[in-house]
Amino acid sequence: MSVRRQLDTRIEVITPEHIAFQYRVAGPFTRLPAYLFDVAIRGALVAAVSFVVVAALSSIGLEGSGIGLSLLLWFVVAWFYGGLFETVYNGQTPGKRIMMLRVVSIDGRPINALQAVLRNVLRSVDAMPVMFYTVALVSCLCTRRYQRLGDIASGTMVVMEERRPFAGLTDIREARALGLLQRVSIDYAVGSSMARALIQYVQRRENFSAGHRAEIAAHLGKPLARQLGLPAETDSDLLLCALYHRALVADQTSPVEVR
Amino acid sequence: MKVSELLKNREESWRTLEQMCATLERRGGQKLDGEFVARFATLYRAACADLALAEAYRLPSGTVYYLHHVVARAHNQLYRARKFQIGRWGHELLVTVPQRLSRDRALWLAAVVFTLFFVVSAYLASSASPFTDYARTALGEAFIVQLEEMYADPVGQRASSGTAPGMMSGFYISHNMEIGLRCFAAGLIFGVGGLFVTTFNALYLGAVFGYMTTVPQGVHFFEFVSAHGPFELSAIVISAAAGMRLGFALVVTGGYPRLASLRMAARRAMPTMGAAMVLFFLAALIEEFVSPSQLSLGVKQTVAVVSCALLLFYFVVLGYPQQSHAA
Repeated sequence: MSVRRQLDTRIEVITPEHIAFQYRVAGPFTRLPAYLFDVAIRGALVAAVSFVVVAALSSIGLEGSGIGLSLLLWFVVAWFYGGLFETVYNGQTPGKRIMMLRVVSIDGRPINALQAVLRNVLRSVDAMPVMFYTVALVSCLCTRRYQRLGDIASGTMVVMEERRPFAGLTDIREARALGLLQRVSIDYAVGSSMARALIQYVQRRENFSAGHRAEIAAHLGKPLARQLGLPAETDSDLLLCALYHRALVADQTSPVEVR
Repeated sequence: MKVSELLKNREESWRTLEQMCATLERRGGQKLDGEFVARFATLYRAACADLALAEAYRLPSGTVYYLHHVVARAHNQLYRARKFQIGRWGHELLVTVPQRLSRDRALWLAAVVFTLFFVVSAYLASSASPFTDYARTALGEAFIVQLEEMYADPVGQRASSGTAPGMMSGFYISHNMEIGLRCFAAGLIFGVGGLFVTTFNALYLGAVFGYMTTVPQGVHFFEFVSAHGPFELSAIVISAAAGMRLGFALVVTGGYPRLASLRMAARRAMPTMGAAMVLFFLAALIEEFVSPSQLSLGVKQTVAVVSCALLLFYFVVLGYPQQSHAA
């Protein structure tokens, strides 16, 4: 399981199944709101529990013990909140869960308890000077995976958990495009790199104005029309749509045999 | 087969996998039934295969992005964080850590630096000092007044003056462990931070101890600190040394890339830090229940001797270099 290459904020991870999939790394300003949520949650938690404990113990005359317990609680929560949650919730604190972030090892594996505790204990260095997180910010800017010092030391990174809706084929609504398909020779099979280009184009064409479509489609459409023996004034946009339909929806000869 | 047909066939299983992920994310630790797990694994493998063959299938890029997300989501549910393993940590704490500590040059360095500066500072602050103003300059007038007030009464009396048991232990534990964790984290700054913190602690504590020999309140002070001192001071030195290991790993990499060297050192330093935490915890318990109590000075000194003996046992007996680990 390893990470291969990275051009932008996408990190490619290769799983034990030898599948490469991509994560987007979270930058400092995506992580800040998550951190603020965590600070708020943990403040509220300690305040609430302390209140109950002190109230309960002082009613039986042990006020001091209640304060002692609250201080202990504050310490544990301040230093081990992150480590505990990231271990139990598989790399997520409540704040990270809200912001859909997750801590994983740099090779894509989940983190273990040691890494979770270490990266949160070293937070005190990252927070320097006085909770402004300047060290962390500089460290994030200097590393490819936006790691603060705690991340570097424990070998972790924070990734975004993306929720993408299912996206299938684009419907070709223009009847003229399908009409045009009748005039393309039945022998013509769309190659795989051509198919890729067609997919890219058709997915985006809805966002373009008619003028833009004609301009962009002309680069591929004109030479294709010539090759297929179609008249020079054939609409390039429609031609590309027609070929898209043939390649992905109506092609009789499949490039791979699928069970 | 056409891409459109393929999508129609596969879409349902991808969506099922997504729904199963959502179920897994919501589940609060209850057991899963076997059928669910088996089905999840099957669907995950199928989605992985689809992603791998996406190019050959000529899937549209929107679908490929969707698949990336589905596989990543399922991957995170399939491969989960390893939980705390108490048994292994016990072995680590009682066998591996003392072995490592007794051979750790960073610990030796921290201990030597701490002892040296402590003794020098204590000497300078005592009545034998060539600089009579040392303690006042080092500690500040206000702190000295506070110290003298704190230890004005004999030790046993403060316990009876109204504080409930447990009141201060929370404070001691959190305060001391925080010092320890800071010492540890400071070490990351190329080890120099750890050295600085150790030196500072040694000078400061040395000045306090030295100054206390010159005033009558000193008797109470020494009675108070003797019981929990051994554990607490050792823990401070150990946590600084563990932090220095991180910093030194950045400088002396042993042939590894700097960051890889840091990661390996960090993995080794964590159990050491755990040992320091245990010591802090014991020190805080003693500080709460033995040090301020009305027990006689003899009992407190016995506690100090026993804790020193335990420390020696830990470092010398458990830490005695074994043949199998020497390589």
